[in-house]
Order: sequence, then C-alpha cells, then structure tokens
Amino acid sequence: MAATPADLSTVVVGGGFAVAFVFGAVASRVNFCTMGALSDVVNMGHWGRVRMWLLAIAVAMAGATLLRLGGWVDLPKAVALRPQLPLLSLVVGGVLFGVGMTLSGGCVNKNLLRLGAGSLRSLVVLVFMGLASYMTLKGLFGQWRVTLLDPVRIDLAASGWPDQGLSTAAAQLFGLPAQQALMLTAGVVVLALLAFVFLDRGFRANTAQMLGGAALGGLVVCGWYVSGHLGFGESPQTLENIYFATNTRTVESLSFVAPVGYTLELLMLWTDQSLRVTFGIASVLGMVAGAAAYALAAGRFRWEGFGSLADLRSQLIGAVLMGFGGVTALGCTVGQGLTGVSTLAIGSFIAVAAIVAGCVGTLKWLLWKAESDD
Amino acid sequence: MHFDQELDASGLPCPMPIVKTKKALAALSSGQVLRVWSTDGATLDDMPTFARHTGNTLLASGEEGGRYYFLLKKA
Repeated sequence: MAATPADLSTVVVGGGFAVAFVFGAVASRVNFCTMGALSDVVNMGHWGRVRMWLLAIAVAMAGATLLRLGGWVDLPKAVALRPQLPLLSLVVGGVLFGVGMTLSGGCVNKNLLRLGAGSLRSLVVLVFMGLASYMTLKGLFGQWRVTLLDPVRIDLAASGWPDQGLSTAAAQLFGLPAQQALMLTAGVVVLALLAFVFLDRGFRANTAQMLGGAALGGLVVCGWYVSGHLGFGESPQTLENIYFATNTRTVESLSFVAPVGYTLELLMLWTDQSLRVTFGIASVLGMVAGAAAYALAAGRFRWEGFGSLADLRSQLIGAVLMGFGGVTALGCTVGQGLTGVSTLAIGSFIAVAAIVAGCVGTLKWLLWKAESDD
Repeated sequence: MHFDQELDASGLPCPMPIVKTKKALAALSSGQVLRVWSTDGATLDDMPTFARHTGNTLLASGEEGGRYYFLLKKA
C-alpha cells in the first residue's frame, strides 16, 4: 500500500527530529562549535576542532555525492545549488553572521546546544535571532535584502549552467560529462580535506574528534536522505511528486537560522491550519532535546543567565546579526558550512569563507580590546 | 592551593574566558599561578586544551558554588 501524505510528513518530521537529536548529543559530547574552533586557532594556534569540522565536511560531501550518483536524492533541487549566485548577499550575510556568532558566544548550532544544557541566555539569543531571521525572510530586513543585496547576482542559468556546483563548473570548463565531473570534483575535494585532517598526528590520536566529525558529517547525509528520498512522493492535490514537510518545498538537510524563525512563526500562529511542523522545525527541537539528553546524562546541565548588561547587549547585537546574516547568506555554519558545502555549491564556499572572515576579524578585535582595556 | 592572581570570568560566554585568561597570563611571570573562575560549560573542554597548546600547566580544576575554577601555572 502506498504511503499517504500524512505518513510521509510524519517520516520527514520524525526523521528530522531523530537526525538532529543524535547531532545534538554528538556535537555536545565532542564540543563541536565552529566559532570555538576558529577561536582555538586564533587564541591557541590549535587546529583540532577545525579539523573535526573539515572531516565532517568531507564525510557529508562524500555521502551527498553518493546519494546523488546513486539517484536516491535529486540534490540539484536544493536551494544551495540553484543556478543563481547572489554574491553580495553571500558575502555581506556571511560576514555579518560571522561577527554575530562571535558576539553571541557561538553560532545558532552552539546556542541550541547551550539551551539544551540549561542556558536561558541562549534561549534569549535564539528568540532574538529567530525574530531577525523571520524579519529577513518576510519582514523589513527582507525588503533591505531583496532590494539592496540580492540583485547583485550572477545568473549562471543564462550561461547554460543547470546548477552552481563546482562539478558543473568543471564540466563546463573541461567539457566533461556531468557524472564524471561530479565524481572527479568531489573526489579531489574530499581527498584534499582528508589529507589535511589526517596528516596531523594529534588529530589521529583524538578518537572522540575523529568519530565525532565522521558522525556529524554522516548525519547531514541522513538529513538529505530523509527529506530528499523518504519524504519525496506524490501530492494528492496536484498528483505531482513533491518534497513533504519542508519549508523550502524542496530537498533539505540540517540548517538552523530560518528554521528557528519558522519555529517561532508556528508557535505564534499555531491555529493557522496552513502551518505545519516541518523537517527544519523538527530538527531545531531535536537539537535541543539531544543536547539536553547529553547534558543530563553527563551531569553538565545547569541553568545559566546573563553575566552583565554589557554581556546582554553584546549577545543581542550578535543574535540580530546572526538572524539577518544567516538568512541573507542562505545558511549558517551548519546550513552552509556542512549542508551547503556537501552539495559542492560554489555559493556555499563563498558564504563559509565570509563567515570565517567575520568571525576571525571579530575574535582578533576582542583580543585586541581585552589587551588594551586596563 | 596557592595562586598569585585571580580572574573572574563568570557570566562570560566563549571565547571571552579564554581571551581574558590569555591576557591575564601574559601579565604573570613564569612559574606563577592564575586561578580562573567561569560559569561557561565550554571552559571544561576549552581550558585543558588551552593549557596543552600554549605550554602552560593546568594544575587543578573543579567546581565550587556553581562555578568552575582552573589553576594554571604559566610556562
């Protein structure tokens, strides 16, 4: 008997929750934090957590490529791979997100983990971040984004590109067949990442970070499979195949900025029958639940508030920058930094570079400020 | 345990406890001990990593009154 739409939606929502639950627990266990990883480099010269992040990217990229080559998931339908490159949005949004996540003590992923571990400060950061993300999706900030930033774009479709993947660039430049270009490009990038990650003896000796990085990358692949394969079916209204229970109405994996905004929307407009729990909303809740489960099991759960007025001000500014920047750059350190780059989308690499630049610049400013404050 | 200087980073989120610890250690002489207080759970992982990768020694750590403390000996 064929699955009903309700069944498929339940699978997508349940799958999204389960994937994010495990992600939250694993990320808490191995202290996965992209801002923390960059802080380790700037403040200690230690690359361990950056290597874990890069390992997660390599695994996610390899898995997503296999899903695409095997025909299980139609990845070019993902938002990250659309054949338009909004350069200004990616750069400005990415830099602002990077600044914001440093001021807020971590990216959205980290604040979800902190909330699960009892941080009421992170709850406030997430509410403000979610409001800003929703304002950037549909409100005042969205008007600024659409009129000032998004128009500066390269329309790759006009040049005959079906998507903005690195593999498509290779196919166009070298005249390779699409599948061959995909295998070649993904293979080169994944091997380069793995070489950088595993050439370090210290990282090879850190089993927790190795397993953690591999697991987090694998969970991004699971997310693609849940929404792009299990949740892909016939709509009873249009009799066309659609992606069930996703906010973007297409294939998704883990991403948190817009989904936090959609979570607030659902809570505020609960009686609106057109709104449903989606993969993204379920993954936000799953992250918090997974982090809470780990924190309780490890004895690390504790209530936490703001340290001072200066702390509150810094966190709120960071939250708004993250909400605006994350939506504008089409994702956060997970949405673009793991999920996006796993598709080999050129825009995702640009967004990640901008996020890293914003974060590192702010970390250096904080260090300079601390050293000059006497 | 003896310490030469104390830093209260309570209420500050990552990366500020590490940033302030780095600054406080820079003002100490080799062999002197800094006691750091923090309420951020991330410091449980960050402070040992910081000590290991900056050559300083983490002499002791623990929890007291709902706050974490770390005793760092400057290299």
